[in-house]
Amino acid sequence: MTGHNEILAVEPRGVVGTLDELLRRPMAGTERAQAGVSVRAWTIRVLAGSVACWGLYGAAGGFFQGGAQVAIAAAKAPIIMLATAALCVPSLYVFGLLAGASLTHRRLAVVLAGFLGLVGLVLVGLLPIGWLFSVSSTSLSFVVWLHLLLWGLALFFGGRFLSAALPEVPSGAVLLWLTLFCVVSFQVVTFMRPVLWRAPGAPVVEEGKLFFLDHFSAVQK
Amino acid sequence: MWFQLLTGREQLLDRVLGDEPATPIFGQLLVVMVAGAALYGAALGSWHGAQLAAYDAFKLPLVLLLTSAFTVFFSWVVSRALGLSLQFSHVAILTFTGLATTAVLLASLTPIAWFFTWCAPIPDASARTTHNELYLFHTAFVAMCGVGGTHTLWRAMVRLPHPRRVVASAYVLWLLAYALVGGEMAWALRPFVGSVSLEHPLVFLREDALTGNVYEFIGTDIAPYLWSR
Repeated sequence: MTGHNEILAVEPRGVVGTLDELLRRPMAGTERAQAGVSVRAWTIRVLAGSVACWGLYGAAGGFFQGGAQVAIAAAKAPIIMLATAALCVPSLYVFGLLAGASLTHRRLAVVLAGFLGLVGLVLVGLLPIGWLFSVSSTSLSFVVWLHLLLWGLALFFGGRFLSAALPEVPSGAVLLWLTLFCVVSFQVVTFMRPVLWRAPGAPVVEEGKLFFLDHFSAVQK
Repeated sequence: MWFQLLTGREQLLDRVLGDEPATPIFGQLLVVMVAGAALYGAALGSWHGAQLAAYDAFKLPLVLLLTSAFTVFFSWVVSRALGLSLQFSHVAILTFTGLATTAVLLASLTPIAWFFTWCAPIPDASARTTHNELYLFHTAFVAMCGVGGTHTLWRAMVRLPHPRRVVASAYVLWLLAYALVGGEMAWALRPFVGSVSLEHPLVFLREDALTGNVYEFIGTDIAPYLWSR
């Protein structure tokens, strides 16, 4: 109870402090939202920190080609995450409500920000590994598989957070939504291609429509 | 009704299974079902442009409506045969509650469906794989929402004062009827995604809509094709 009161009373200031709290006490934001404390600033700080985390991870991925692609990948990664989140928010809201969660807009915002923040933090934790393999690998196919693996790991932790933040929602529904989020992210990556490697003189965003499965097949070749 | 389905289902089920007049609830569920399914239908048909999007916005709610119309009598007979204390109006409203929930789920997936359809290469003769991918993708989404919708139905049925085994038997039989009829309705009212073959121009309904059925097609076309690979 004392810990709960502490969480309500002491809200960290600054983006780094908020992300640190998210890592150490992931439910702090949700508890504040449930207690009726304003969480707007907290949500904005977590989202701002998440954007920075995704940008850093994107930059690490861009080192596969190096040069301008580092900056391009750093810019694209947050766009990919935000677009994916925007497309998947309605389904999270409806899945949550249908599963019996009392999901207000405030709670939804905090849960979503926490999920995105935690995914971002795990990606930053994996950043040295991503960077190491990006600078040393020569096979695009290999780094794609590596990023898929790291992405899966980040989503696993994001899923754990979602399950804890929405205990009313059955784990099957959380898993279903995570799968949806993952598949949508693949299509958004395809839409924003090329992210890791760009042919000389090729545009920053390739024109032409493509399904993610076809894109993946093309990358494997 | 839209928000009651999402946030106040227990109260809604009280109304559905209570003595409240059925007609207003029925009308409200109908509006939600049509709106939600029309939204998804528009996204589904948008690959071939505005014309098929408009057709599908009309046809997808029609699939749900016809499925409920063709199964409601069977569902009522089954419930009577198994000794469930449900009137015909209860069965009809429960069916509609499940389908309205399906439509709400479909509406929540509309941004994703629209994005995938929008990202798909333009429909021409070379886009057969894309057509198949879109077809599978939408089938998976609609099936998933259908299963989600019947979850509401299950929550309503377990409130009935009968042994769970009996209720579960009725639920499974209703579900099988929905799946069997729903699949055929979607087949008869095709095209939804829209063919890439010149043999099948864009139409509201195909001339051969009632020639053969989806299960024959799977048995005589798809299964032998997969078997031969």
